[in-house]
Amino acid sequence: MGFDLQFGWTGTVSEVVLGRTRAEGGTRSVSYRIGGGTTLPFLDTDRPSPSPLIAFECCDNPRIWSTIVRDYCGDLVNDPAEWAKTAETVYGADMVRLNLTSTKERNFSDVAALKKTVESVLSATTLPLIIEGSNEPKIDSEVFLACGEAGQGERLLLGTAEASRYRSIAAAALAYDHSVIAQSPIDINLAKQLNILLREIGVARDHIIIDPYTGALGYGFEYSFSAMERIRFSALKGDADLAMPMCCAPADSLTIKEVRDAPADARDEMAVQWEVYTSIAAAVAGAEIICVRHPRSVGVLKEAFAGLKSHSHSRTAEVR
Amino acid sequence: MRTVTFLPSYRKIEVARGSTILDAAQRAGMNINVVCGGQGKCGKCIVYVQVGKTEFDRQKYLQFFTEEELARGACLACETTIQGDLQVVIPESTLIQEQKILIEGKETEIEFRPAVKKYYVTLQPPTLTDPSPDLTRLLWGIQKSGGPVAEKIYVPLEVMREIPALLRHSDWKVSGTIALVPGGYRLIDLQENDTSKRIYGAAVDLGSTTVVAYLWDLVTGKVAGVASNYNKQISCGEDILARVNFARKNGLSKLQSLATDSINAALTSASNTAGIDREDIYEVVVAGNTVMTHMLLGIDPAYIIAEPYVPVVQRALSVAAARIGIAANRNCGLFVFPAVSDFIGGDIIADILACGMGERQEISLLIDIGTNFEVVLGNNEWMFSCAGAAGPALEGGEVLFGMRANPGAIEKVTIDPFTLNPTWGTINNIKPRGITGSGLIDTLAELISACVIDRTGRINTGIDNPRVRKGAHFPEFVVAWARETDIGKDIVITENDIKNLIMSKASIHAACVTLMKEAGVTRHDITTIYFAGAFGNYLNKKNATIIGMIPETDIDRIKNIGNGAVTGANIALINRRERKVLDAIAGKIAYIELNAEPSFMDDYTSSTFLPHTDLSLFPMVQALLESCRLRKGSG
Amino acid sequence: MALKALDIYKLLPKKNCKECGDPTCLTFAMKLAGGKADVDLCPYLDDEAKAVLGATTRPPIRRVKIGVGERAFGVGEEFVLYRHEKTFYHPPGILFKVSDTQSADEITQVTIRVRDESFTRVGTKLQFNGIAIENASGSKESFARAVATVEESADLPLVLISENPEALALALVQVGTYRPLIHAATQDNYKAMCALAKKHGCPMVIKADSLEGLVSLVKDCAAEGIQKLVIDVSPQTLGDFLVKSTAARQLAITRKVPELGYPVFLDTTKTGMQDAAIALGIVKYASVIVTNPLSPAQTKAALTLRQNIYTDPQKPIQMNPGLYRIGSPGKDAPVLMTVNFSLTFFTLEGYLESTRIPCFMLIVDTEGLSVLTSVAAGKLNETLVRDSLKKFGVENEVTHRNLIIPGYAAPLSGRIEEATGWKVMVGPRDAAEIGEYLYTEWKK
Repeated sequence: MGFDLQFGWTGTVSEVVLGRTRAEGGTRSVSYRIGGGTTLPFLDTDRPSPSPLIAFECCDNPRIWSTIVRDYCGDLVNDPAEWAKTAETVYGADMVRLNLTSTKERNFSDVAALKKTVESVLSATTLPLIIEGSNEPKIDSEVFLACGEAGQGERLLLGTAEASRYRSIAAAALAYDHSVIAQSPIDINLAKQLNILLREIGVARDHIIIDPYTGALGYGFEYSFSAMERIRFSALKGDADLAMPMCCAPADSLTIKEVRDAPADARDEMAVQWEVYTSIAAAVAGAEIICVRHPRSVGVLKEAFAGLKSHSHSRTAEVR
Repeated sequence: MRTVTFLPSYRKIEVARGSTILDAAQRAGMNINVVCGGQGKCGKCIVYVQVGKTEFDRQKYLQFFTEEELARGACLACETTIQGDLQVVIPESTLIQEQKILIEGKETEIEFRPAVKKYYVTLQPPTLTDPSPDLTRLLWGIQKSGGPVAEKIYVPLEVMREIPALLRHSDWKVSGTIALVPGGYRLIDLQENDTSKRIYGAAVDLGSTTVVAYLWDLVTGKVAGVASNYNKQISCGEDILARVNFARKNGLSKLQSLATDSINAALTSASNTAGIDREDIYEVVVAGNTVMTHMLLGIDPAYIIAEPYVPVVQRALSVAAARIGIAANRNCGLFVFPAVSDFIGGDIIADILACGMGERQEISLLIDIGTNFEVVLGNNEWMFSCAGAAGPALEGGEVLFGMRANPGAIEKVTIDPFTLNPTWGTINNIKPRGITGSGLIDTLAELISACVIDRTGRINTGIDNPRVRKGAHFPEFVVAWARETDIGKDIVITENDIKNLIMSKASIHAACVTLMKEAGVTRHDITTIYFAGAFGNYLNKKNATIIGMIPETDIDRIKNIGNGAVTGANIALINRRERKVLDAIAGKIAYIELNAEPSFMDDYTSSTFLPHTDLSLFPMVQALLESCRLRKGSG
Repeated sequence: MALKALDIYKLLPKKNCKECGDPTCLTFAMKLAGGKADVDLCPYLDDEAKAVLGATTRPPIRRVKIGVGERAFGVGEEFVLYRHEKTFYHPPGILFKVSDTQSADEITQVTIRVRDESFTRVGTKLQFNGIAIENASGSKESFARAVATVEESADLPLVLISENPEALALALVQVGTYRPLIHAATQDNYKAMCALAKKHGCPMVIKADSLEGLVSLVKDCAAEGIQKLVIDVSPQTLGDFLVKSTAARQLAITRKVPELGYPVFLDTTKTGMQDAAIALGIVKYASVIVTNPLSPAQTKAALTLRQNIYTDPQKPIQMNPGLYRIGSPGKDAPVLMTVNFSLTFFTLEGYLESTRIPCFMLIVDTEGLSVLTSVAAGKLNETLVRDSLKKFGVENEVTHRNLIIPGYAAPLSGRIEEATGWKVMVGPRDAAEIGEYLYTEWKK
């Protein structure tokens, strides 16, 4: 009687490369090839499962950033380059996600400054970067082209394409050979639709990361969790338009009531737990890039992912 | 007395020993073919006596039988006398073949078997030696003229009262109208002299917007006149919900009489066109949605529209038309189609009758589109149905330049994929004033083929063409320049219009998918897709498929039945036997509440794409769009 | 796998006799397919059909009840591998662990926490489920004392953890009638353990290093007459648990190895990664989770995740329709209408709070459908808005007559104005833009 897991999957999650090392034409110290899974996360007992990448989120204008993180990180938040460097050297993140929050300021127009910020972060950290650009049709095109150009050769991951605004970001990605995050509102169908739209304007499948939109734990995460499971499930069943790796970026985790209302001495812990529980569940559901905002979440998750990766086969257990 | 049982119907009749089989058969209501009038001259009335004793001189009529018939013991009904209890087989060929009629919207012919018939009879006045009563005399006369057996005819008191004077005044020449109602035969009218050619019936589609009436000559089986007009209830509310609320507040009587008035108006104008007297309309058949028929009959519809959405009546009803104020013969009958649920009403049952999907083993999908849409999937064994709001986009509502199918409405559109110049056709070929639902569907299909919009319906404003504009509120595409129109404005379709259209088509497609899932069938199992509703007349089937409003299938397997409600009503009027299946159809249909269906939301979202998120469900469309895209280069 | 209504219909007598209470065999078949009717309601089914229909409806994972009284909880009786396929029915019990090496005070403190602590989320009370007592001392007397200490403070479901049948026997003298879960029978001690389980009628955990080992133990226990079982896959690592629990669930659901059709036990204290193990256990099939006492932050996160995962994914969570206040809105505060889909509500509420503009949220009953879907399905219509305005007395709350509706409900704006007499302002489609909208459009 075989007690091995047998799903009969036929599909494979497509592989996406993040970052470029010097050898590959970039300047990163490491590049990642994620995807490639042929079963559900952490279930492949024949070869080591890849660990989800932990991306630490920082920003170039902390005004709208979580006060918890601002309090915890202190002055760092005013210097995105230094902050990114700390994420690599101190927090131990695998990637840095730079949110260009300055573009959210009213009448923002200083695209040249953005470009500089991206360049400075690129030189401060050796990790592959996710750049989260603007969300304003009037400036999108200019912003994404500037970011794309600044990161030419580095195989950035640019965010975020949505069904209502994907042309500018796709154009920048195509022009400078970057990948894009395709975000849809917690729905497998809408995720697939966006992937088709991107494909039809020329973005290759191996340049797309699905962001199914992660609702914060207690605020819609149940929908996100199942959307992720369904997307992974469809990928393994052979739907190429859903076979991209996913990222989990619960942007609201640190602004929800439980975290906001936690007593001052427990606020950091509440923030970290909220991120950790969300991230573990998302990773098990299929997310391969896990974005967090609290520095302490990085270490906890690293350890947990190591635990999830390690299998002791029943056979070895018997020998023990 | 001897009992004669006719096979295969097992109809039984008691007759005196010595009567002929023909006599018995006629009394039992069997329409035996007797060209010679029962004199043993035509040889058409061949029957087979299976059990029992008869007298028949077979040698005398040998010329009428084949060897096979002789071997099976054939005899002539008119020349065989009954001696004992019998079992008699009447072969199909011996029965009178009913006239067959082709009805608009129905592919196969319908047998002509109306429920009302008028018989002209010339009676012998009574004498001292023949003192049978007036009624007996009259009814026997009708029976002899081919009418039903005398003792089976019920005569209502008001007709009874007229008989003595009428018979004598008309010198014993009268025309009697017999109606077959659920209780049996009924003498509903008696007139002096020969008026037997003047008998009409009306089939009515009582829609919430429009009322359509067909007037049929029930002697010739031909349409005498057609008329339609707006439902006068519109003055009490545009949609059904508003009208039910109006009834709640102000009582039902106004809506009831407006419904009747609307039908009367249609009957009057059809009668006038045909040059006939409304008094000669002896039967009216009405198919309408559940709320409409409730209102027409004066039954409170308030409970239909609130949870748990239960109609009061679910079976077909026959009532006296005069009781609800229908202006026709005073004894005219009214037959109302049955309903299934709040949304699946008599109009849908009529659609089903019209397309014949309930008669076949093959699976059909029926889609009736108006402001609401109803979908039925099934065959002769089972049927699933559901209904939903299509949104007004397909009727031209909530679309900037949308309009109903009135003169000047653009109803057909093609767009050159390179110049983006459209070619359109309007109703009555006058300058355009707006776009109808079918025109909108065409536009949508053409815009996606020309890569002007992406699969979510968003206009690519990067396209360098004067017809593609950013618009005041939404990006838009110019279908007709102001100078080409009758309204002096550019007729455009906006991104928002397209959104609304996509929402409508997604609802319809998701409803189809929901039923298919419930039944466990795929699009390959569906033999025919029927479109019904006024909208169906003009629909471009291919474009409806391209935008993904219906499951993809061979275009020639999609059929427009147009106004199925009136077609169904026509069928039921022309052939009373068809009415028998209506309750059975209504009883067979399982209704699925889309809102309670957990997967509906999912199917809806996946349908909000052109043609669909799962492109493998639309291989033909996918190939077509792919080739369009390649031809254009990726836009 | 589940049969379709039509497949079931083919097995039914097609008499439409109505004796089952349904108008037709087809509607009865639809109910059977949806698990809303019992096969036995049909008096004309032959045995073969009954067997076919019965086999697809019997839960592949058995139900096991732990504890007695108010706090008792049932686990198992699950049907699917992924919650999106249907739903997960019975949330795992999460139990705090104490050791018989701890002082009575410490034990009591933990017990009282589990007894008393709770918080409410989305209208549901969330709390831990019981106490697991471990015989770490090795002494059966200490174990019995610890069990007695817990028992004195609360009537909570218990897990008694000891591989020594004698220690368990002594503890069960006190709590045996309260249906505690005993942990654990192994290949070595199962006979004695089964005797205990049988004597006290309590559920029992069986433990083995491999699924093969568990299957053979299940058979052994069945031979002893014990079937109320919970299985412990004795994971070495988180990954090990994930693989084994997934395999056990899959083999049980597909009915390939019915012996694995029991709820799964997870002791997260053995993994070295408490939080990760709890999160993993919740999402991947653990039914009884034992943990060290958790901090308030861990508690909130763990119980919220459990609540999230065990909501019915096909049924959108609904908010109670009504008029909600953000801050202390005055008579001139904006009124924003939206649907009672909880995600919509919470998202909008969150953004509104951050705008710091006091306002009213008018939540109308779309049966939990989102704006987009409820507009499409006709659930969200002008009548509903009008009735809701009236029902919740909005006219008395504000002096103006301006109603902000969601961007996706824009097609209804004209009809809402007509039906309500209020001026309709079409808001943004994305809740994130509401602050901007209020500042620019409303303040105007």
